[in-house]
Amino acid sequence: MTGYVLRRIGQMVLALLGVSIIVFALIHLVPGDPVRTALGTRFDQEVYEALRARAGLDQPIVVQYFTWLGNAVTGDLGVSFRSGVPVTTLLLQRLPATITLAFAALFVALVVAIPLGIVSAIRSGSRLDYAATATSQVAVSVPDFWAGIMYILLFSLVLSWLPPSGYVSFFEDPLEWARHLALPALTVGLISGSIIFRFVRSSVLEALNQDYTRTARAKGLTERQVIWRHVMPNAWIPIVTVVGLQLGFLLSGVIVVEVIFAWPGLGRLALLSVQDRDFTVLQGAVLLIAFMFLLINLVVDIVYGWLDPRVRYD
Amino acid sequence: MTSGDEGLARGAQASDPSHDAGAPIAEHRSRTHATVETVLRNRLAVAGLVILAVLVLAAIIGPWVIPYEINEIDIANRLTGPSTDHWFGTDELGRDVFSRVVVGARVSLVVGFVAVGIALILGVPIGLISGFYGGATDSTLMRFMDILFSLPAILLAIAILAVLGPGIVNAMIAIGIVYTPIFARITRGSVLTIRQSVFVRAAESLGATNNRILRTHILPNVMAPIIVQTSLSLAFAILAEAALSFLGLGVQPPEPAWGRMLAEGRSFFEQAPWMAIFPGLAIVLTVMAFNFVGDGLRDALDPQQRSVIESRGVG
Amino acid sequence: MTEPILSVRDLTVSFGTRLGRARVVNGLSYDVEPGETLAIVGESGSGKSVSSLALLQLLPTPPARVEGEARFHGDDLLAMEDDEIRSVRGNRIAMIFQDPMTSLNPVRTVGYQLIEPLKMHMGLDAASARNRAIDLLDLVGIPSAAERVDDYPHQFSGGMRQRVMIAMGIACNPDLLIADEATTALDVTTQAQILDEIGRLQSELGLSVIWITHDLGVVAGIADRVVVLYGGAIMEEAAVDPLYEERRHPYTRALLASLPVPGADRPNRLRAIPGLPPDPTRMPPGCPFAPRCAHAQESCSQQAPELREAGEAHLVACHFDPEELYA
Repeated sequence: MTGYVLRRIGQMVLALLGVSIIVFALIHLVPGDPVRTALGTRFDQEVYEALRARAGLDQPIVVQYFTWLGNAVTGDLGVSFRSGVPVTTLLLQRLPATITLAFAALFVALVVAIPLGIVSAIRSGSRLDYAATATSQVAVSVPDFWAGIMYILLFSLVLSWLPPSGYVSFFEDPLEWARHLALPALTVGLISGSIIFRFVRSSVLEALNQDYTRTARAKGLTERQVIWRHVMPNAWIPIVTVVGLQLGFLLSGVIVVEVIFAWPGLGRLALLSVQDRDFTVLQGAVLLIAFMFLLINLVVDIVYGWLDPRVRYD
Repeated sequence: MTSGDEGLARGAQASDPSHDAGAPIAEHRSRTHATVETVLRNRLAVAGLVILAVLVLAAIIGPWVIPYEINEIDIANRLTGPSTDHWFGTDELGRDVFSRVVVGARVSLVVGFVAVGIALILGVPIGLISGFYGGATDSTLMRFMDILFSLPAILLAIAILAVLGPGIVNAMIAIGIVYTPIFARITRGSVLTIRQSVFVRAAESLGATNNRILRTHILPNVMAPIIVQTSLSLAFAILAEAALSFLGLGVQPPEPAWGRMLAEGRSFFEQAPWMAIFPGLAIVLTVMAFNFVGDGLRDALDPQQRSVIESRGVG
Repeated sequence: MTEPILSVRDLTVSFGTRLGRARVVNGLSYDVEPGETLAIVGESGSGKSVSSLALLQLLPTPPARVEGEARFHGDDLLAMEDDEIRSVRGNRIAMIFQDPMTSLNPVRTVGYQLIEPLKMHMGLDAASARNRAIDLLDLVGIPSAAERVDDYPHQFSGGMRQRVMIAMGIACNPDLLIADEATTALDVTTQAQILDEIGRLQSELGLSVIWITHDLGVVAGIADRVVVLYGGAIMEEAAVDPLYEERRHPYTRALLASLPVPGADRPNRLRAIPGLPPDPTRMPPGCPFAPRCAHAQESCSQQAPELREAGEAHLVACHFDPEELYA
């Protein structure tokens, strides 16, 4: 198991290096001079030179990359051209909102998907199964931003139950925090939930049809025991992967939903930095998002090894 | 490993090798026939095909049959609700929402098809080369694909658009690049399986050139999973285009695109919810149609494959 | 004369399909005497596995429909409530399945899977169940059982896994063991070892065995009596020696001709039976074997032959006697 974990960590570091190269290259492909763009009409040669030197832009590109990488490893992602604030500070300001929304949405998704998926699989062909499967079919086709708008329309404008947008810190006012969180979490969670539902249903169904399930029944176990002791331990393995992936996407910022609900998360920061052509911020945001994504993958792989002895004893 | 995780995110597996091994091109015709039959038996897939037919029709003849010019401004009738004159109501400039939704099908379909076309043109050769030659070529290419894959779809598209600048053509390129790794992986997986099969080995031992083997033996046999993935990717490409246009990075005004219309509708939400409702419904319907057809194709062509893209999500 | 421990009467299993009801087992009746090994032989699709799964109510209903009677020590298995049949499964009747690679749960240790029925049916506590599990593994010939009890199935070879399955089968000292193609997936050497093992356990524990297989070669070495099944119905039933010697039914004859016989006068001519088993949704009106039978007469495809006595404890379902057919 230790060897397995170490190997996965090594792979993650390599992938992260790859991402850093791509991100760096991408930003430096941008036509035009970011400092010039950022300065806009307030152009002043001296300020310009100073900013360029401060950003290290007068160095050769390879040197620039390694300087940037070296700084990034120590947590220094440079300074926003637009606001002059360190990128790391900006990212850390946005992180709590993103993490809150991601886990709240995942919670919604799991609460819906896991029980429904299991029951649908066990009673496959029943009316409940048809209804749940059909709903999930439709739900995966709904764009999250449209669902968000419709929820606002219904719950905020028509019913006036919940605020249409904004974010309140939990430590300021837990009730308002929850009320502001509800709609975005529902928007993303239900779509995520339908994707997870489909996987839960199919992996449980698949495990139910395995020979070992028949063996378990032939031993005289109750159906409950068969499902919890034999079917689910096998079904969890693929489910964990897809749940991990979903969490990765949720953490990486559900950009459009953040825009709709004026949610101050990483995704909106990334979008803002594109609109402002504030590329140090974009670079930092993409790197952080990729890092979180890979970290989740690593965790998934470890859980995977823990669930599946065949991987563990590889 | 249970076969359940086979098609999951890391590396879609090709279908059962035995099913391909004995059935090279000779049976192609009858297989196509059988596939069509299976798809037509699937009621959802048929529903999807019907919706798509209507959409394609709307995209082609839409501009000639719509009741109003799409950019015809009529301030006197701005923000009026659905009526017999304006089925889907009017927007803030008094333009007919129904006409704009019909014409919007054009943008969605074109962007979807072109973007997925780009992904195919890039991804399939990469997968073929990777799977066929193996070794260092394979690991370099696939590492690169993995890294692209580890960036969230919309974020990657936005980053690419940041470089290329907003616009419909760049949006297509960005979406195309985003979905390239999926096609590369699926193709590679199928190639790896088929390469081991008897008929490819026989061709090799008869001295066929690599190029010939690739073109005549491998490509026709990896088509099934690629076709399935194409249909499902179209659904996601259309979602992605809508999202990008919604953010103002895709289609630019005054061209009607569903995503844009939604974004414009948001500002007039309280007075004119129909501005946001109908373009959104159009997106849902289109994406659903492609999903249904894709699922139907998958059941018919490649029952063991599970979509990679499914677990990827958009947003 | 002892009472049979299992007495199956008119067992019929059908499945609802898109093409109508498919009768897979059609009025099957047989007895299993204490301590005896009954072999049920047939091609795939003959209904042999389905009939045994039906006995323990292991078929999903619907789509399956099971009719008839199966008296086990006098109680009808098919009429039992859920918890009644569960107290029989794995306890008094145990089953071993064909593929040891897929029949064990890959994410549970062998010990866990062995201990389950012990706790369930014998009420053992964790420690004594574990000890008994180790003894069982030892009994079925797994070396260093005490260490291997905590291993996972993928750490065992195919033959060893089938031994684990057997250990699981005999864990609660059942009266009846149903082995469904239990050695088919194994190589010949391992197969021989497993057969020996079951024979030994049978004489030590005195259990009855229903051995389900398509391989008449395996049957010769282990069975007391043989039931030849075709199209869900019995074609011939007899003690093993008369069956092999007389081969009254043309199907039995065809099955035996498709076996390699060491030292036979025509060593290289195995004869496959032409054609395919009948489609259960479209059973022929007469004898189910008639379409493939080399000796079929016109009457065969019109009237189904009754199962009739053709010698001492020798039943056959054919209109003709062998003398008429193979003259």
